[in-house]
Amino acid sequence: MLLATDAIVLHSMEYLESSRILRMLTREAGVQAVIAKGARRPRSRFGAALDLFAQGSAEILLKPGRDLQTLTGFDVARGRSGLAEDLARFTGAAAIADVVLRFAHDDAGPELFAIVAEALDGIAAAPQGSARERTIGGVWRIVGALGFSPSLDACSICHASVEVGDAVLFHHRAGGILCARCARAHGGGRAIPREALDALRGWLAGEAGPALPSREGRAHQRLLHEFVREHLADGRALRAFDSWASDPADA
Amino acid sequence: MSAIDDLATELSRLPGIGRKTALRLTYHLLKQSSDQTRRLAEALLVLGERVHPCARCYNLTEQELCDICRDPRRDVALICAVEEASDIGAIERAGEFRGTYHVLGGRISPLDGVGPEDLRIGELVERARGGVVREVIVATNPSLEGEATALYVQRQLAPLSVTVSRIARGLPVGGDLEYADGVTIAQALSARREMR
Repeated sequence: MLLATDAIVLHSMEYLESSRILRMLTREAGVQAVIAKGARRPRSRFGAALDLFAQGSAEILLKPGRDLQTLTGFDVARGRSGLAEDLARFTGAAAIADVVLRFAHDDAGPELFAIVAEALDGIAAAPQGSARERTIGGVWRIVGALGFSPSLDACSICHASVEVGDAVLFHHRAGGILCARCARAHGGGRAIPREALDALRGWLAGEAGPALPSREGRAHQRLLHEFVREHLADGRALRAFDSWASDPADA
Repeated sequence: MSAIDDLATELSRLPGIGRKTALRLTYHLLKQSSDQTRRLAEALLVLGERVHPCARCYNLTEQELCDICRDPRRDVALICAVEEASDIGAIERAGEFRGTYHVLGGRISPLDGVGPEDLRIGELVERARGGVVREVIVATNPSLEGEATALYVQRQLAPLSVTVSRIARGLPVGGDLEYADGVTIAQALSARREMR
């Protein structure tokens, strides 16, 4: 079956003398591994189109039961060269790709595609020093689209409405904030200030979010990393995401 | 594990070689004369024992310094930074470059676990700091990863009084404008030069 769909290149590796194996997020068929035969030849029909994070119209020859499909065409619509202009942008985009490639499958739909495209555009256009916030917002929205959105309005355990004072307890294992009673009954978690909770709500609603001072940005990075490790990770390393989350210089 | 499995496993670790191809190569080797397989084994052993990175530029060599670094006719004030030693061969085949090289050892690729600290960027900065170097040409691949690496290198070299340039990207010689993709045409237009 020939699938014509919008797609974003999330990973690329050289294969044999002249081909590439790519992993792409498609609008209709989630994450697909494809081979682009002859893509590295100077006069390849793919040209420079198959660059990392490029988005365009892909034609994929899908054969059921195969792990590797064949890319027969790709017309690039958006190159995202801005991601290479700053290391913080580049590592942020790679963290987004890492999370999508690990946790999205071939059943992911248009919502995830739109969120990832928007997140990469946001990071590519991020003003100096705000790539981290754009990345945090993008990953939270991806986490939400994958069905793991944290509970931020009601207690994650008893579902009672939560009176948020200056701070509230965010419990990773419970999946969100806790009311005072459940917070007393359950150990662990992180106390997060009201502003941090508001920022989380904004990101999950698709807002660009506020520019954060370095310390707060690091705290959000840590919170997101812990949440992903708790709910999505399978014990294997997330190289780009882990590296981004542990980089204090990313600002 | 049998000798056949052992060899097939080792061969399948090579880039572009899957398990099936590894087994096919193994059975092919079994059909060769013992002299021929011994020569192959010896060549592999010698490769591992003798070949190492050049002490100056990290090109592959059997001496302390590679042929290019030892060549007195080379312009040591001009360094071309490439991703891999194999890229040097491609540039040398063009026969136009008379400077020296610096092999970075890859490109920044967070998804593959490669960060700036894994590359020989610090060594390049040290070479450039000596006062002899006039220009560093960053010849990483024209991909997003290559571009990110080039910009990172440029920022590390910026405090030094060294010109940092980037190889041009655009239309291939003999190519046809009609069939070029939009990204290539945009790059070619942005890197246009005045005709004299």
